[in-house]
Amino acid sequence: MTFITPQLLLVLTTTVFTSAILLHLTKKNSSAVFYYVIQSAAISSLLVIASFERISILLLISISATVAVKLFIAPFFFFRLIKRHQLKFTVSTYLNTPLSLAAIAVLIALVQADFIKPLLLLTTSGQTFILNLSLSTILISLFLIINRKGALSQMLGILSLENGIVSFALSAGLEQSPGLQLGITFNIFVWIIIATVFSSMIFRKFGSMDVTALNRLTE
Amino acid sequence: MALILIIIVPLLAALATLTVRRNLFSIQLIALVVLPAEVGAVGLSVYRVYHQSRYECGAFLAVDALGIIFLLAVATVGCGVILYSIGYLQEEVRKQIIGFSRVKQYFILLHLFLMAMFIAIITTNPILMWIALEATTLATAFLISFYNKPTSMEAAWKYLIINSVGLLLGFFFGTLLYLSPLIGSHADVSVSWQMLLANASVFDPQILKIAFVFTLIGYGTKAGLVPMHTWLPDAHSKAPSPISALLSGGLLNVALLAILRLKIITDTAIGPSFSSGLLIFFGVASIMVSAFMMLQQKNYKRLFAYSSIEHIGIITLGFGFGGLGTFAALLHMIYHALTKSVLFLTAGNILLKCGSTKIARIKGAFSVLPVTGVILSLGFLAITGVPPFGLFITELYILAAGIKSNLMVVCLVLLMLALAFISFLRHTMKMCFGSPVEPTPRGELGKLVILAPIILLSILLLISIFLPSPLRALIESAASTIQR
Repeated sequence: MTFITPQLLLVLTTTVFTSAILLHLTKKNSSAVFYYVIQSAAISSLLVIASFERISILLLISISATVAVKLFIAPFFFFRLIKRHQLKFTVSTYLNTPLSLAAIAVLIALVQADFIKPLLLLTTSGQTFILNLSLSTILISLFLIINRKGALSQMLGILSLENGIVSFALSAGLEQSPGLQLGITFNIFVWIIIATVFSSMIFRKFGSMDVTALNRLTE
Repeated sequence: MALILIIIVPLLAALATLTVRRNLFSIQLIALVVLPAEVGAVGLSVYRVYHQSRYECGAFLAVDALGIIFLLAVATVGCGVILYSIGYLQEEVRKQIIGFSRVKQYFILLHLFLMAMFIAIITTNPILMWIALEATTLATAFLISFYNKPTSMEAAWKYLIINSVGLLLGFFFGTLLYLSPLIGSHADVSVSWQMLLANASVFDPQILKIAFVFTLIGYGTKAGLVPMHTWLPDAHSKAPSPISALLSGGLLNVALLAILRLKIITDTAIGPSFSSGLLIFFGVASIMVSAFMMLQQKNYKRLFAYSSIEHIGIITLGFGFGGLGTFAALLHMIYHALTKSVLFLTAGNILLKCGSTKIARIKGAFSVLPVTGVILSLGFLAITGVPPFGLFITELYILAAGIKSNLMVVCLVLLMLALAFISFLRHTMKMCFGSPVEPTPRGELGKLVILAPIILLSILLLISIFLPSPLRALIESAASTIQR
């Protein structure tokens, strides 16, 4: 019995995609974390529903760990970072909002290109549109990492990229065995801790989390 | 059992180090105990692979000729680095550059870093390999920022972000897409490299092409291929010298192994021409950019870092040319791992003695550090491919492999190698000869910081002059695996 219907998949994938765009538009760090939580909630829902098909103890542990990391631990670390360093507003970007939106439009159009089309054959639901959305999320998240100057935004960009990949994997039926999922989640958990510690250290050394201040290493 | 030992020993060493309280000697003793245990376990694995062609241990761990070559290189460099680190950190503590807690942190992370690299090499599972590669990033990030200076922080942040993006792309395109035809039918079992290879015919060629391009971009970031190399000179120049040696002689090769594993599957499914073209492109780009960058370097650790990019480019080029080039590339990887470790370890001695990484501030290494000066000049000869060092013959073989099919590429690479030689010669001459910029007492810093590079250099010289037949057989077997 398939629990993830194409309609449900569409709704949740659209949520992931929309959150990625909102991450670009927001000017406040706390809002950015909030959109990441929304995105992660959609991904976690997909994982939970997908797990109904082949339920096992290890899978339950793996899903619980993923939900805990994405929905609770990551936001906890990020909000603590914002509070500790008074990072209310962030988000200086290399491109302004209209140009960023134009770039996003180009990236979404890029997913329609011929050389990407073979990837759409992987769809299990028969709706290539869903895979299109997931691929767009991946590209938009990559652009977020490049376009934002704030360390926190870059971290959120990487996690959003990871969410995009999970969304694509679930849409294409590429779920992993629970043990490996647990390994991936553990990696992400450690990554979040290390990246948060580093951004705090950067703030202390450079007086801001703007990565353009990291310009002392030159040739 | 030996494969489990290879992983367990550094894990136990990290845990044991964690429990040590205010006793530097205990940390050093733990590190010393790791050496014979690792040498024994790796030696046994080499023996098993040499006699049985493949050595398995459970569902997740196995090593073939290709894996054992990389394991041997990483373990040799790893043991050298552990030995050197004991003396190096002792000297840093003596000079009050760092305290006990930093030494403890260093050795815990070093053992974990080694463990992660070993897992990446000997796992049969592509996703576990990705997890282990990501773990190397996490273990080394704090090692790169070890001195807590703004520049090392900057290098570590770049390393963390760039490699995380690269590895995520590698995971998505390099791993998930390759697994796509198998996932449905093997959801609950481990998908191995062998399983992927056996099912190579069911892959969609177009998906495979996209996957391989992004594999090269993703894992190529970790391997330091141009244009994804930007983290590498910063990280290598800011990390403690022994860590730079391990990054250059170990980590870059492990990332290259991931590319090779996926290249084998791609070639089996769609033929070798697609991957060859891409490898040649990235190889030449890496050689060209690094040769020009080396010319203008003012920092000797950055010079060595760019040299690593150059040699990863040469190795990639060898795999791209195929045939004799594949054999030579594998041998080049071993020689480069040893040579670059020697260079970074001598760089550590110079830094400790003279307190600067600027080439302009280092003069008269021969008079201040006589043994280190000799090792540095021998390392220079080795890395630039001067006979009798093995890199001469491997570069010759690689270029010979491509001369028929890619004459222009070979000519261009020859020109770049000449440029790299001139750059290295110019910088090394400045550092070795003349009078010291500041009056510095003559003499080496300790026995261990000399012993480790001497051992590595001796191994390099030995296998350059006489390549033992078991090692040759393993490399030939690995080369045939890549070119199946």
